[in-house]
Formats: sequence, structure tokens, C-alpha cells
Amino acid sequence: MVMSWFWATIGCIFNAALVLVLAPLFEGILRKVTARVQSRKGPPLLQSYYDLFKLLGKEDIESGEAPWAQRFAAWLSMGVVLAAVCFVPMGFRAPLGGAGDALVLIYLLMLGGLCTLMAGLAAGSAYSLLGMSREMMLMITLEPLFAVAMIVGAVHANSLRLDAVLGGAVYEGRFGVSGLLMLAVSMASFQALVQRVPFDIPEAETEIMEGPLSEYSGPKLALFKWARMAKLVVYAALFVALFVPWGSGLPFPVGWVLFWCKMLVLVLVVTLVAATHARYRVDQAVRYFGGMLVIAVFALILATYGY
Amino acid sequence: MAAREKLGFLRQRFGSAIVRADLTSDRRLYVFVEPRSVKEVCRALFRELDARYVITIGADDRPWSGCFMVAHNFAFDRDRLLVSVMCLLPADSPRIESISDVVPAANWAEREMRDLVGIEAVGHPYPKRLVLPDGWPDGLHPLRKDVEWDEAPDCDDSGTGYDFDDPPEGCTVVPFGPFHPTLDEPAHFRLYVEGEIVRGCEYRGFMVHRGIEKLAESVLGYNDIPIMAERICGICGCVHNVAYAQSVEEAVALRPPPRAEYIRTIMLELERLHSHLLWVGLACHIVGFDTLFMQAFRVREPVMWIAEKISGNRKTYGLCVIGGVRWDITPELSDELKTVLDKLESEWHSVARAVKNDRNIQRRTRGVGVADAKVVKEMGLIGPVARAAGVDIDCRRDHPYAAYDRVGFRVITAQSADVWGRLVVRTDEVFESIGIIRQCLARLEPGPIQTPIKEDLPAGRFGLSSVEAPRGESHHFVITGENNRPRRWRVRAPTYQNLQGVPSMIRDAQLADMTIALGSIDPCFSCTDRIEAVDVRYGSVKVWTPRELREMAKRPQSGRDIKDS
Repeated sequence: MVMSWFWATIGCIFNAALVLVLAPLFEGILRKVTARVQSRKGPPLLQSYYDLFKLLGKEDIESGEAPWAQRFAAWLSMGVVLAAVCFVPMGFRAPLGGAGDALVLIYLLMLGGLCTLMAGLAAGSAYSLLGMSREMMLMITLEPLFAVAMIVGAVHANSLRLDAVLGGAVYEGRFGVSGLLMLAVSMASFQALVQRVPFDIPEAETEIMEGPLSEYSGPKLALFKWARMAKLVVYAALFVALFVPWGSGLPFPVGWVLFWCKMLVLVLVVTLVAATHARYRVDQAVRYFGGMLVIAVFALILATYGY
Repeated sequence: MAAREKLGFLRQRFGSAIVRADLTSDRRLYVFVEPRSVKEVCRALFRELDARYVITIGADDRPWSGCFMVAHNFAFDRDRLLVSVMCLLPADSPRIESISDVVPAANWAEREMRDLVGIEAVGHPYPKRLVLPDGWPDGLHPLRKDVEWDEAPDCDDSGTGYDFDDPPEGCTVVPFGPFHPTLDEPAHFRLYVEGEIVRGCEYRGFMVHRGIEKLAESVLGYNDIPIMAERICGICGCVHNVAYAQSVEEAVALRPPPRAEYIRTIMLELERLHSHLLWVGLACHIVGFDTLFMQAFRVREPVMWIAEKISGNRKTYGLCVIGGVRWDITPELSDELKTVLDKLESEWHSVARAVKNDRNIQRRTRGVGVADAKVVKEMGLIGPVARAAGVDIDCRRDHPYAAYDRVGFRVITAQSADVWGRLVVRTDEVFESIGIIRQCLARLEPGPIQTPIKEDLPAGRFGLSSVEAPRGESHHFVITGENNRPRRWRVRAPTYQNLQGVPSMIRDAQLADMTIALGSIDPCFSCTDRIEAVDVRYGSVKVWTPRELREMAKRPQSGRDIKDS
């Protein structure tokens, strides 16, 4: 028993460190590829590290309506991501995979959205409040999609245990209609889950000047940015675990390398979609996700009937 | 022909109220009207004869006629005619009935006339200050001849708040500007927002007014002004440069040689090219499509390079002098320009296809920022905004200047009256511009590029010039004067009218659409404000205090003489 606690702790720390270290690299790849698509040279691959390093070294300025809430939101957003990391397999079995169930993960990820709301409230400017209301509208329509994807897996696996849900349970061994439907829905809404164009609506720079983040600077901004980069890794890992699990069972290091290759491909897809789309308006996005939600619920119904 | 017809109509209708009429050509008509009939004459022109409102000009003519002067300019685009309805007001009571309730488009111009010249538009529906800063003392009107050009009154307004209108019930106020990532220049829109819906707005601009017109009327010489006129705008400077030169040339009946006219046409179209390419890129950036933004700028860059090779500058070409142009296009440059155009044409085809086939761009622009033909007429909107609403006007065809009467091109229109229409119009106009430049290059024949001027330019003549800038008609009005400089020079940039259409474009629209709707008129606040940018010198960083800047601006300059020695 002591040993398992020990290994779980080590695993958590390892996962968190891995994500924190690799997230800026993925962001760097994303920025570089975007630049190439746009006929630009692009920043060095390590630029995101430099950016974070610079921001972390800056003066910590208190501003906005409620500085304590602002600080709390920044820390919470990072904390949420790091907590979620412990439940997600990163090429290995998730360290706390057996400790919590799918619902914990769903709630954790929803908490991430709440951080943006809190950040917007704390700043208290017209633009941040607008960004907040947009974030809220998106959350309401977006989070259920992700929840449904997990629940479809849970229904197939007949368990809410996370290690049962992940690992391709959505397909239930054979390629069920519901699993494929959920794959399509998740792919179509993945950009929004990781807050990239065309769904970076709550932060749209050219419309509402970064919205909730407009009052952030220095270390707090670094935390938010870092959490956002990590979010891309976490969601990508979840996506891989839910929908593309094949080969993850292979012995180390083959399975591990394969896992990160899949992650890389996913990040490239995100980059290309972001580079070739114009931003949606919030009402258009909500309508879009509404349609997706209908499909997702349909898939859930199919799943309960065993399809 | 048309000019005589209109004059006949006015004479028959208003009889003795028409004091005098000057028909300087069949394309220009200056009618002097009794002040009490001005409003009715404008109503007849605007409502009955369906003229397009251009601008209102106020001038201090006291040193010469002992009166103030007001001119309301109208255009008959079908008849190739520009009409100026003028009247003289007594020096002791410069007041005239406002025409803004008949011609809503005159709203700003009349307020500006009150601010700068001190001619009161009686009965104006919204008599708020427009141009002068809040702390500027009442009763001091900078464009009056008895005010020195370097007069600097104490404008301290730090203690007083600005008198904003009250927002409508249930709306919150969202400040848009003076500084905002999509505004490249300062302008303030106070938006009244209900949820995500914009219910109305109040505009406050002219924050960087530098009084270029005053400088021209009091310090510079005829041939210095084009160089400064060019600096009115950061994008369409050449337009102001040419428009000013043409209005002076028209006033004194001077015709530049054909080669100069072709060169002017080429440079104007080069400018339209880089401006439209820039706009399409910015529009994509506003809706979050940065890839097309970058590609548009990549495609645009060779245009800047060839402009630099031809004129020595990427942007400020220093093109015109009165009676011609300052430099030539050599055969080598002409060949290189052709190569640039060929490459641009093929690359623009692919960008245009990408833009037009993108579903997300369509979703973000269709039905957004609508200004239909009625708004266009009422607010005097021009350029791509008007053409996108199916209003077929283009000064290049309607009021031909330079060499536009000798080249063939299509005037692109659309019917949708929204941002999408403006996007399509601008995208396609690029191909027309390429065609125009090619025709000009083919017809460019050897010859002089300047008409020599042997004696002083006659004073007291009027000149009008409308030039189709990338954003719409740029209109210049000149009264020639003594001492080698005009008595009055009035610049009406296209954004001046188009901005007045923005409130109706964004009413009841989504807040997210505000930026693209505003962007769709391709706003140029520096044109509207008529600023001159302060040079940034590379290498040495120096922060100027307001006092130092004022001292620097006061250093005397002398206008060079225009006559050939």
C-alpha cells in the first residue's frame, strides 16, 4: 500500500513536470508551423520558453477591481491543469487513474473555464466582462460535449472508473456508431476546447482586446499562458486516450514514443485549422456547438442501446 | 450642357435670388446665391435634381470682399458636373441657416465651419463642437485671417469633463478607442451596448488635428503644399497631392503635359493597389484570419518596392508640382513595373479566390455593417461603400482627371450593401487598377513632364478637384491668392463622409461586428483629422515636451517662389 502511494506521487510529479516542460515546446511548434503557413520565418522553436521566462521575471502588478481574485484565478487555472494531468495517461498509465472517476475529470476541466470567468470579474472592465459573458456562453454549450464523450465511454465500459473509460472504450472493441459519432463531434470541437482560432472568441484580440486577460501582466500572465499551453497538451492527451488508444499498450519505449507522435500530429492539425479559419462570432459558435450537442446526445442514446 | 441646364432650372425657380453664376467650363458651376435662399437652393439640388452632397466650406474673405463666404458643394455624377452653391455673409454677423436637416450629410461640415471659421449654422440639429479641443476658448476661430497661424491659446481642459450624451435606457457604455488594437489611429466611439448588441454610439475624433489648411494659407507656398498635402494620409497621400495640384491648375487654367497626366494616373493606381491589398489583409486580421492577412501583405510588398524604385519612397511619392510632376518613369522602370504587375495579378488571383471562397469570412461579413443606397444618399457616402450598395459612382469615370479619360476600366459594383460587398468590390478593383497601369505604360509617350509657369498665378480664382482615392472621393477646394499661396484650401477626405455613416451601420449589430463594420469603410482618421506626423529619427531617442514641439513648429519658413527663374 505504501509503495503504491509512493509510486502514484512520483507519477503525478513526473506527469506534471513533463507537461509543464513540454507544453511550451508544443506551443513553439504551433507558432513555427503557423508562421510557415503564413509565409513567415517565425520565432525560434524555444520562443515560448523565453516568453514565459521573461514574464515570470517581471514586476507583479496588482490591478483591476479585485487583485486577490485575479491572483487566485491565475493560480487556480494552473492548479486545475496540473490536477487534471494526474488523471490523464501520458504514454503511461495515469498515476491517479484508479483513484478518481470520469466525473472528477469533467469537473476539473470545467473549473478551468471558471478561472477565466473569475479573471474577467476581477478585472472589472467593460471588455473583460464582455469576454467573460462570451466565455460563459461557450462553456454552457461546449462542456457538455466533452462530458458526453466521456459518458459514452463510461456507458460502453459499464463503469465510471477513469482507467476503464479511457483506452478506447468508446468504440467498445468494435467500431460502434456512437463511438465514431463522438469522434467526429470531438474533432469538430477540439479547437474550442483548447481555445484556438476559430473559437478564441472570449479573448479575441481585435474585438475585445484579450477580454478577461486584459488586466493581466507579469508572472500572473505567465501562469495563465502556461496553463493554456498545458491545456493543449492535456486535452490532446485525453483525445488520444479516448479515441486513438491503439499502440499505447506496447512496451516502453515504443508505446511512449508512439503516444507523443500522436500528440504531435494532433497539435499540427490544431495549428493548420487555426491558420486557415476566420474567427466565429459568439452567436455563430453557440449555434454550431448546439448542433454538435444534438449529435452527441444522439450518440449517447445509441450507446445506451449498445450501438 | 448639363451645367447650363441646372443653372437654367435654378434661375427659373429662384429668380433674383441667384446673384451671379460662373460657368468656368461645362463641368464646373459656381452659383452665388442670396444667403436667405441657400437652404432652398440646396434642397432643390439635393432632393429634386438628386445631386450628391460633397462638402461645405467656410472661408474668411474679409480682407478682400469684406465678407465671410460659405460654399456648399454638390456633384452630378451622371452629368460630370460639380456645383458650388456660394454665398457671402456680412462680416459682423456670419450666420447662415443650417442645411443639415435637408442634407444630413452636411452635419459635420457645418460644425467644422462653426469651429474653425466661426460661421454659425443656425438651427443645426446637433451643434456640438467637432474639431476644436475641449479646452479651446470660445470665440477664437483658427481659420480666420486675423488669427496668427502659430496662435497657441491656453487649452488646459484637465479640470473639465467632456460633455457626453446620455446613453439610452438599459444600455451600458463600452468605450471603443481612442486606443484599440484595430484602430491604427486615435478615435473614440462611445458604444451603447445592450448585452452583445450595439444600440447606438457617439463619435469623438479630431484628436490629432494639426491645422494643415491654416499652414497652407499662411506659411507655405503653392509648390510646398503638395509635399505637405501628401502627408495628410499615411496610405492615400498621393491622392491629396494630386487633388491639390489639380484644383490649383484648374483655378488658373493650367494644363499639365500628357506625359505628366499618365504618370499621375500610374502612381494613383499604384497607390490604390497597395491600399486595397492592405485593406483586404486587415479585414482578414479583424475577423481572426491571420494567414490571409500575412499573405496579402506578402503579395503587397513588391508594389511598395517598385514605388520606392520609381519615386524614391515606399509611400510618400513627392509626385506633383503645379503644372506637372517632379520625376519621370524611365523605360527600365516601366519594364520592371510590368513584371511586378504580372506577378501581382497571378498571386492576387489566388488570394482573391481564397478570400471569396472562405465560408467563415462570408459568415462574418454578409449582412454585417449594412449601408443601403438610402443611407449612401443621405450621408453622402462614397467609394467602395457606395459601390457595394449598388450606387454606381466613381470619380475616375464621372469626373475624369489626369489620364482617366484615355483608359478603359470597369467600375465594380455589388448589390449586397454589406461588408462582404465592400470586400468583393475592393478585391476586384485590384485587377482593374492593374489594367489601367498597363494601358498607361503602353501609351506613355516621350515629352515634357512640367508646364512652365512664367508669371504669378492669378488671385481670387476658384478650383475644385475630385480624385477617387482608394476609400472614395477625395475633394479639394482652392481659392487662389496673393503671396504665392492660396487664400483658402479645403480638403475633404473620403473618410470624413464615410465615418458619418458608421453609426447607422453598427446600430443593432453585434458588438463583435463593430470592428469589421468600422474597418469596412477603411477608415483613415489622419485624413479626417488632417494631421502631419512628427518625424521619428532613427538612432537618437528624444522625447519632445509639448513646449519644445510648439517652439519647433514656430520656426519661420518661407514659401519658395513658384515662377521659373
